[in-house]
Amino acid sequence: MDLSRRRFLQAAALTAAAAGATAACGGSSGSSGSKDDKDLTLWYWGGALSDKVVAEAKTHFSGQVKLTTNSIGGDFKQKLTTTLAAGAAVPDITGIKGEDIASFLPNGSRFLDLNDLGFKKLSSQYLDWKTKLAQTTDGKQIGFPIDIGPTALYYRADLFDKAGLPSDPAKVAAETKTWDDYYALGAELKKALPGTYLINNLGSVFNIAVGQGTKRFIDENNHFIGDQDHIRAAWDLSVRPYQLGLDGKINDNTHNAALSKGTLTTELGAAWHALDIEQAAPNTKGKWHVSPNPGGPANQGGSYLALPKQCRNPEEAFKIISWILNPANDARGFTDAAIFPACPAAYAMPAMTGPDAFFGGQKIIEVFGPAAEAIPASYEAPADAAVMAPYLTELTNIEAKGKKPDDAWKDAVSQAKQIGQRQGVS
Amino acid sequence: MSSPPVTGPAAVPRHRGGPGPTRFRPRRTPPPGAVRVRRRGVLSHWRQYLAISPFYLVFLAFSFFPVLYSLYLAFQRWDGIGDMHFVGLQEFRFLWKDPVFWLSIRNTLVIWVLSTVPTLVGALVLATLLHSVRRFKGFYRIALYVPNVTSIVAVAIFFGAVFSNNFGLVNAILGTVGISPVPWLSNPWLIKLVIALLMTWMWTGYNMIIYLAGLQTIPKEIYEAAKLDGAGPVRTFLQITMPIMRPIILFTVIISTINGLQSFSEPQILFASEAANPSLGGPGQAGLTTLLYFYQSAFVNNDYGYGAAIVWAFFVLIIVLVLINWRIVQRGRKT
Amino acid sequence: MTAAGTTPGQVGTRRSRRPRGLSAHVFLILAVLISVFPFVWTIIMATNTTQDIYKSPPKLTFGSHLLENIRHMLKTIDFFGSMLNTIVVASVTTLLVLFVDSLAAFAFAKFDFPGRRVLFAALLGFMMLPLQLGILPQFILVSKIGWVGTLSALVPPSLANAFGIFWLRQYIQSGVPDELLDAARIDGAGFFRQYWNITLPMIKPGLSFLAIYAFVNAWNDYIWPLVVLTKPGHVTLQVALAQLNVAHNTDYSMVMAGVLMASVPMLVVFSIFARGFIAGATEGAVQGS
Repeated sequence: MDLSRRRFLQAAALTAAAAGATAACGGSSGSSGSKDDKDLTLWYWGGALSDKVVAEAKTHFSGQVKLTTNSIGGDFKQKLTTTLAAGAAVPDITGIKGEDIASFLPNGSRFLDLNDLGFKKLSSQYLDWKTKLAQTTDGKQIGFPIDIGPTALYYRADLFDKAGLPSDPAKVAAETKTWDDYYALGAELKKALPGTYLINNLGSVFNIAVGQGTKRFIDENNHFIGDQDHIRAAWDLSVRPYQLGLDGKINDNTHNAALSKGTLTTELGAAWHALDIEQAAPNTKGKWHVSPNPGGPANQGGSYLALPKQCRNPEEAFKIISWILNPANDARGFTDAAIFPACPAAYAMPAMTGPDAFFGGQKIIEVFGPAAEAIPASYEAPADAAVMAPYLTELTNIEAKGKKPDDAWKDAVSQAKQIGQRQGVS
Repeated sequence: MSSPPVTGPAAVPRHRGGPGPTRFRPRRTPPPGAVRVRRRGVLSHWRQYLAISPFYLVFLAFSFFPVLYSLYLAFQRWDGIGDMHFVGLQEFRFLWKDPVFWLSIRNTLVIWVLSTVPTLVGALVLATLLHSVRRFKGFYRIALYVPNVTSIVAVAIFFGAVFSNNFGLVNAILGTVGISPVPWLSNPWLIKLVIALLMTWMWTGYNMIIYLAGLQTIPKEIYEAAKLDGAGPVRTFLQITMPIMRPIILFTVIISTINGLQSFSEPQILFASEAANPSLGGPGQAGLTTLLYFYQSAFVNNDYGYGAAIVWAFFVLIIVLVLINWRIVQRGRKT
Repeated sequence: MTAAGTTPGQVGTRRSRRPRGLSAHVFLILAVLISVFPFVWTIIMATNTTQDIYKSPPKLTFGSHLLENIRHMLKTIDFFGSMLNTIVVASVTTLLVLFVDSLAAFAFAKFDFPGRRVLFAALLGFMMLPLQLGILPQFILVSKIGWVGTLSALVPPSLANAFGIFWLRQYIQSGVPDELLDAARIDGAGFFRQYWNITLPMIKPGLSFLAIYAFVNAWNDYIWPLVVLTKPGHVTLQVALAQLNVAHNTDYSMVMAGVLMASVPMLVVFSIFARGFIAGATEGAVQGS
């Protein structure tokens, strides 16, 4: 009689215990907020730092702290934002991507000011424009520059040879000084090698073309300037390959296959893009070379390390990041993960000046080094990435639907304006 | 009137009067409680309330409250970290003028129709066939249900590989018969078609099982009587099977509407590798469903107020669609 | 015509004249091929190299690189760790769902109490709420409790499973005769004993259907774990898989090895319980009435 009720209660208790067990096991693993300042966590994503340097940092500082590192896949920014918003399980040290840093600046109060911790003394070693992009309006330094993304022209020397064109980096550089030259070269390549394309998609050109200027979509006074001539010029430049039939229109997961199959004769991209090419097309080893970006270099990406306010041991954490990012270690990132250091002192180090087998033994620092120092500085507003998105989308509309470029431009501008308005841009 | 209707209608307020659809298990006795227990005050039923309370408590805390709070968010401008600013109806005004929002609605509806119709028709056909055969019944049921136990993530990755423009199996097969590569994942319509195919593949077996359950409750005597009257298979199907199955069909339509309109993971994973462009949904945003747009606004652009507005406007839309759906099925029943 | 199925006399009786049986089988086998093909193709991709997949035409036969791909995948993501997480979450969720839902369903199916109809109608309305609607505040709530980044955060949202109550209520209404409950009542059994001793044993097939349904849902849940499991390296299988796809889309055969490995456990569980599951979905109702 009573038995059934007891059994019922038992079952209830069991399930409750099971729930408690998960809570407990979860709780123990998400143990931030404890006063234990001997434990520090570092979040980054695959390719943001040299895994070897990070591993060494662990042993190097093992006397003072226990450093736990997490390499995150997927949407890093979303993860970081939600964690910061929740204020729970916040990492002590975190990476922030270059394209995201601007959107974190309005919430600078969520991070520690690195200048207070000694960055002021080190800052002269790092590229000034890169450092400034991680400064809030009231002068707080929230990001410690890891790397930058000077862009260049990657090209398939073997295909250039096949097309009867000069393939030597110096000669290619001379032939592709301007965008016009570059497109003209593309026309020749296409004639000689039917079925190949000069660029993978219009967005990649647009990204770089915008970055070659000193103004972007929003100015310092928070005004929308994405409808002005400098953006229009970048837009027109990006649409031209489409009109000339040089555009591969690759906007899906086939980019890697195209690289591997040799459908793309050139790639425009930042220094870190070298690793992408290597991974996507290991079969093309030795066939690629690098020459300067047509029309001058731009910057694409390049990340930071930051210390969230919740950091349990700021002094040690700062020591760790300044160690990981000191010129010598930064230079090693280049060899390990094609991370291009943000400190010019590294450029002369042996880790960076050696020949690269994937690029046929070319010393690619000779292209990227000068590019890094010639990158034009520009102001990047917090809403910049969100406002830029419609332009890229409309460029794919041209490619995917054959939308008229002028219509696409109008739609892009009106949408960009609206997105800006939503985020307080006037 | 004595018992609550089994399927959808009860979910729709404002329709208490009128005959609800017949319950789809015709021979069930009505719930006895109505007769047994006269109102003796709420307290005497504490056991029943206790029994249903866990669900409602969890629901209130983890679903209802968050949903209400998101309505509050829809009237704020908030980047997710900093302070909120009350902006009144501004987010909804933006929404009204935002072509991407309307595009996402169109995308969602197209994908929904392209997936729901073949899924339900296919499921009904398969269920009828399966009901008619005697051998290997168990095998068929299991083999046809299997797609539903695989994860959307796995399936989306798989579809991305098979329909890849450059190296996909589908284009390779088309190539052998001399058809040039079809841009499955860059043409706006084909993108939707691929997403719909994916959903159809996953959900046909599931609906088939539900239909089969319904078919098996139809007493065979009815069919025998119909046969004596000289009704052929088609007429039997239309005049006996369909009317009896209507409540179940209504149920599946509603569930598919809810599921279909909430498509998110499929395009998100299918086009996840496009890192250069923060806009989600693939080329031309052709795979940008409304929920994906919500995700992009809130979690990618940190525009949480706008995200909340998107998802609320969308919810109203779902309600309207379900109402219309239900109306249509209702009307069909009366004639 | 395919309506052949409505010919009389097939509900589990011995009667059998199958005039169009063959065409039905042909059609069904075709459908089975479509539903099984992706698994085969996944295996083919997972056993070859990425270069084989990129070839045109791609390789159509099984390769010998499966182990190598799996090893590579295991090095890239914490496969077994995330699988263990997923198993724990899915099991706990399933148990709780079964208990919470069957109890509520029993009350709804066999008793009248003030507000029953309104509460049940509300419940059906809940089924229509897109869960994503509340995902932001849900996240804030979970963070206030301090569950962000922990597995506990995954359980409560999927506990509020209105479909389960709806489904089991049907099942109890048709599968548990009132006479039996009345008899028990006369013997002095109270509400919870009627539930535990009489109803639960009688609705086992219905429960097994719901169990698989809930387990599969918890196993395959993607967006909520994606958002709430902020602690990297501490994720569920689906999130790990998606991350594998994003971060390493250059290595397709490895991604496919991950897809394969992640699908196998579900297929095994399903094939073990499939019989009871399908019976629960289709036959129990008939058998009970």
